[in-house]
Amino acid sequence: MEVLNKLYDMTAFGAIGDDPLTLVMLVLALFLLYLGIGKRFEPLLLVPIAFGVLLANFPGGNMSVTPSTEIIEHMTILEIAKEHGIMNMLYYMLIKTGLLPPLIFMGVGAMTDFGPMLRNLKLAFFGAAAQIGIFTVLISAVALGFSLKEAAALGIIGGADGPTAIYTAIKLAPDLLGPIAIAAYSYMALVPVIIPFVVKFTVTEKELKINMKEQDKLYPNKVKIKDMNRIKIIFPIVLCAIVSILVPSSVPLVGMLLFGNLIKEIGSDTNRLMVAASETIMNAATIFLGLTVGATMTASTFLDKTTLLIILGGFIAFAISIFGGIMAVKVHNLFAKKKINPLIGATGLSAVPMASRVANDIALKYDSKNHLLQYAMSSNISGVIGSAVAAGVLISFLS
Amino acid sequence: MDNISSNLSEALILLAIGMITVFLILALVVVSGNILIKIVNKYAPEPSKKLTRASRSATGTAPEVVAAITAVVETVTAGQGRIESIKKVEH
Repeated sequence: MEVLNKLYDMTAFGAIGDDPLTLVMLVLALFLLYLGIGKRFEPLLLVPIAFGVLLANFPGGNMSVTPSTEIIEHMTILEIAKEHGIMNMLYYMLIKTGLLPPLIFMGVGAMTDFGPMLRNLKLAFFGAAAQIGIFTVLISAVALGFSLKEAAALGIIGGADGPTAIYTAIKLAPDLLGPIAIAAYSYMALVPVIIPFVVKFTVTEKELKINMKEQDKLYPNKVKIKDMNRIKIIFPIVLCAIVSILVPSSVPLVGMLLFGNLIKEIGSDTNRLMVAASETIMNAATIFLGLTVGATMTASTFLDKTTLLIILGGFIAFAISIFGGIMAVKVHNLFAKKKINPLIGATGLSAVPMASRVANDIALKYDSKNHLLQYAMSSNISGVIGSAVAAGVLISFLS
Repeated sequence: MDNISSNLSEALILLAIGMITVFLILALVVVSGNILIKIVNKYAPEPSKKLTRASRSATGTAPEVVAAITAVVETVTAGQGRIESIKKVEH
């Protein structure tokens, strides 16, 4: 009998029975795994996050992230690993220091082509308008009783950029990291649903039929690019200098993005670096980011009213950002001869390239010759810069 | 309540500063991009040849063969594939 008792103690059955809310978290983890594997919603991130939730909520495994305290912050990495397990070691080493989001941005940069933006520079403005959701939700969250830092971390979900949302949450509201990451990546996965939803209520059929290529023929660009390769190499260096001088707090994100882009654009001379940034480092960073963020989500930290408000607030931030971009195009069209399809404004979100693909598909439904992917990519890529700059402003004012 | 209202006024200031900064940065992106294009057009009007990954890794492979293989890989992989090296397999 004693042996059986010892065997029972060795397993997690007893601990699960003691805290039934753990079961809710395990079900949530399985649901997220289903979304990632079955529905293919951002599987590269949702699967590691979901598995992190699973690992963290099996009692006795010592794989959940312990909320930051003064004691932990004064411990060495070795002591954290010894006392709190390897997941805490990874979290405090890679997440708490803010290391992984910039590394992921470097990989994103190494996969980004600024060409469409350089060909349609004017459209980059709409990436700015689409950041309005971040700040309107910040105000709404403050009105609901969130602190300024928490509200800012919540609002940044509206930028539709996972690494930026995580980076801002780490800097401003680390306790809300789990729900913010889940909301950000879930809504990014739901871009094909959210953009058509907002477009349906805000854009007329006539506007959706605005053909960008025909507009280009009617009102051609004054400046033609003669040497795109050379410009693509110089551009990230110039842009890095501008952002570094004006919003230094956004440099960890934007700077790494532009470095990644530079090593891509140089070509074969830095090909190995580009492969490392966009594959080796990016993949490793994504695994550790997903697992550790998932491991912050335990029943005690996740199952409360705040999480629900974050999920709801994140959706509103997303929708307002899309609305802001669309409205900016509409205002532009009131005054300009050369009309722009409002879908270009809707892609001012950072979710690259999914937002552009969705906009392209919507445009093709109304006019089978209206391929606006290249134009949408312009505001889409500028949205990445815009949301990182917005995050930089929030961090420098609030941290 | 006082705390919320003071936070709200700070949030409104953040809205103004944040949006102005984002617009300013992207305006500078547009302006600097245009200036860069004009300078490069003026001083380096001839398109520079970007060394593709394939052209260097293909030791001894004729450029037209590299171009053909690159085109096939681009088409088959829908632009996602990349040529790391080209090796001739002896039968």
